[in-house]
Amino acid sequence: MFGFSPSDYSAIALSVKVAITATLLSLPFGFAVAYLMTFNKFRGKIVLDGIVNLPLTLPPVVVGYLLLLLLGRNGWIGRTLLQPLGIEVIFTWKAAVIATAVVGFPLMVRSIRIGMETIDRGLIQASRTLGAGRLDTVTTVILPLSLRGIIAGSVLMFARGLGEFGATIIVAGNIPGVTQTIPLAIYEYASSPGGDVMAMALCGISITLSGIVLIFHEWIGRRMDRAG
Amino acid sequence: MKLRMEIQKRFGAFHLDANFEIEGDRIGIFGPSGSGKSTLVGILAGLHSPDEGVIDIDGTTIFDSREDIHVAVPERRIGMVFQHHHLFPHLSVKRNLLYGYRRCPAENRRIKPENLISALEIGHLLDRRVAHLSGGERQRIAIGRALLSNPRLLIMDEPLSGLDDNLKLKIIHSLKSACDTFRIPYLFISHSQIETRIMTDRVLTVEKGRVTGQMTGEELARSRMKDHIAGYVNLLKLRHVRTIHGMSVYRWGDRQLYISPGDDHPETIFELSSAEIILCKRHPDAISARNLLYCRVTDIFETGGRLGIELTCGKERLIVEIVRKAAEDLGIRKGIKIYAVIKATAFRKLR
Amino acid sequence: MKSIIRKCFYMATFILSAVSIHPASIDLSIAASLKEVVTELSNDFANMKPAVSFKRNTGAPGALATQIENGAPCDIFFSANADWADYLMKKKLADAGSISVLAFNELVFVGKSGLKVNGLNDVVTLKKIAIGSPKSVPAGEYAMEAFTKADLVGRLKYKLVMAKDVRECLMYAERGEVDGAFVYRTDAAIASRNVKILFIVPQRLYRRITYTMTLTGSGAGKKEAADFYRFMHSAHAKKVLVKYGFAVK
Repeated sequence: MFGFSPSDYSAIALSVKVAITATLLSLPFGFAVAYLMTFNKFRGKIVLDGIVNLPLTLPPVVVGYLLLLLLGRNGWIGRTLLQPLGIEVIFTWKAAVIATAVVGFPLMVRSIRIGMETIDRGLIQASRTLGAGRLDTVTTVILPLSLRGIIAGSVLMFARGLGEFGATIIVAGNIPGVTQTIPLAIYEYASSPGGDVMAMALCGISITLSGIVLIFHEWIGRRMDRAG
Repeated sequence: MKLRMEIQKRFGAFHLDANFEIEGDRIGIFGPSGSGKSTLVGILAGLHSPDEGVIDIDGTTIFDSREDIHVAVPERRIGMVFQHHHLFPHLSVKRNLLYGYRRCPAENRRIKPENLISALEIGHLLDRRVAHLSGGERQRIAIGRALLSNPRLLIMDEPLSGLDDNLKLKIIHSLKSACDTFRIPYLFISHSQIETRIMTDRVLTVEKGRVTGQMTGEELARSRMKDHIAGYVNLLKLRHVRTIHGMSVYRWGDRQLYISPGDDHPETIFELSSAEIILCKRHPDAISARNLLYCRVTDIFETGGRLGIELTCGKERLIVEIVRKAAEDLGIRKGIKIYAVIKATAFRKLR
Repeated sequence: MKSIIRKCFYMATFILSAVSIHPASIDLSIAASLKEVVTELSNDFANMKPAVSFKRNTGAPGALATQIENGAPCDIFFSANADWADYLMKKKLADAGSISVLAFNELVFVGKSGLKVNGLNDVVTLKKIAIGSPKSVPAGEYAMEAFTKADLVGRLKYKLVMAKDVRECLMYAERGEVDGAFVYRTDAAIASRNVKILFIVPQRLYRRITYTMTLTGSGAGKKEAADFYRFMHSAHAKKVLVKYGFAVK
């Protein structure tokens, strides 16, 4: 179909795999951070807010470079944790997932927070007086009522992940079959004369994937409206 | 139930200073809006923390700032019915009702769902979604939910606000009988004297962040008489006897009363304003009023420039408000017998 | 009368200054591996002709050819093979007479010293190997040619890290992010101490690495660009090329 080579098919499969994994991995952390920011007052809240939103303001290449410094052989985490355990992160698909997760994290937290902020505090008070402990209230009241925000955040992160380039190429490299996602493959084709056709074909795939994700989001939103 | 609170809380310009000890199973908290009633019960339930103080229920300390005791909200087992129902929108009515029940340890589950559902008449609402209920239905579910959590104490913070009058009375009745049936002590907050009188035995008055006193509902009504245009509102529990000529005959204690319009309800509470009762020293004849009650004057008290006269009719009591000059002219004193004249149309149905 | 003469004087000055004082600027697109040697030679040329200045753009020859095709300004194009020069000719951006051979190079495999790799057979056992993307980097093309001739392409799956040019390959090797990289002999010479040449790829496995120099249509129209083009073939230029490790014959 369309004259895609095996490495092009891997690029498509890899893009989807990396985006989904990064989204699933970020969900629990995103939820926890959003919860902390919405329902708790504590010193340094502004600092946490700043750190979480940092990847949003930095160029992805800078984020990638910082991750490289952190997770590489001589990096702070690389040296103390990864090397002794024999875990290799740089230039593997794990790095692609981490890069995508870090870059998309602020988007996810933001969406979940917006959803959480609309929750009536009275409901939380009610659940406590009915005998629910903190964790119980989170799972039975806050979580279900933040679902829209969680879904919106996931969709946003997934879509962002499909298009991640700057951080990925620095920390995961361009390895066909291993870390070459659709944007990296397009970059390679676009750098070579005669690669325009393939680059555009891959662009088309990318647009189609994003379109599917957005339609899915709309559909879920409608279903939730009807049910609620 | 015995409740003791000695707490202080400051936020912004508001200062809540509560220091009281009260005993009973049907306690009211009465005061104007903004006086701190909701904050006070919020602190009792554990939803807010006082700056300092002690809270004791039946001898158990649930909060003590000096000893660093702070029992968490779920462990206090104090149920709460809020002004705004706060039903969970993502759960069905059934799930809402069972929310607290599920979290109640089995050995404490005295109130069972089946019993409560029939007591509050909410069986037909079980599979509905919260959004499709009316205001009155929602409040009843909220009450049911709180009761099913089998609390040791139920706090109701103006649970009838936002409902229309007919609804209010209907719910007040189910509320009181449910709590009585299941023997749950409660704290009832209201700014309505009538609700407070019906629901409670003893009342704490709150004003500008301070607990100013403790009294019965009756005493409260009397102390507030001068604030009301209608004066004191007598509440009469009447039993229907028969209806003839568009007028209903009721039994009140050992007397009979004629009320128009009445209805066929076997038991009704009627309001009768103290300003609508006329006193007469002699039995008036050829008079249009249908009710003539021969009573004894048992108390006379001041009420902002006028006089309140307490009459005893058999076992029942009535308060009448007249101007001072009329009392002088008629020579009204404690102990004398006098006729109370009441029109059949002077009564207002409460339920 | 006086004001007219003054206006003419100002105009003349303006026109003359535009012609004589304005320096000539030559646009160069340079294959990554030629970066240092072309920089030095262009500086030498600029010292001789002070009115000349250079704008240098370095990268993979394929990427550079794409840029030129899309309108990027370029007077002289340095490529690590003849293919990209022919490409420009086909696109009518240069004519056949303006393409010439400049120098030659060899393909080597570099890595951490001490790594037991003596030939392509050993390379396929490594975990990660950096090569320039064959779609646009001649060094990568040459490496793939060698693997194909040695019948080892099948064993390369998931091991190749694509770099955007030959210098990036070197950087990956220096950082230790890959086990080794295919670069030119001349690149290995400027590599840092922790990487060294592990073996030289046998010449029989790939076409000789031939650097071409192309004077584009726009370059042919500039006197200074044509002068520099001829300068690159001079004896002095050849001496500098050899100094950097390129072969000139």
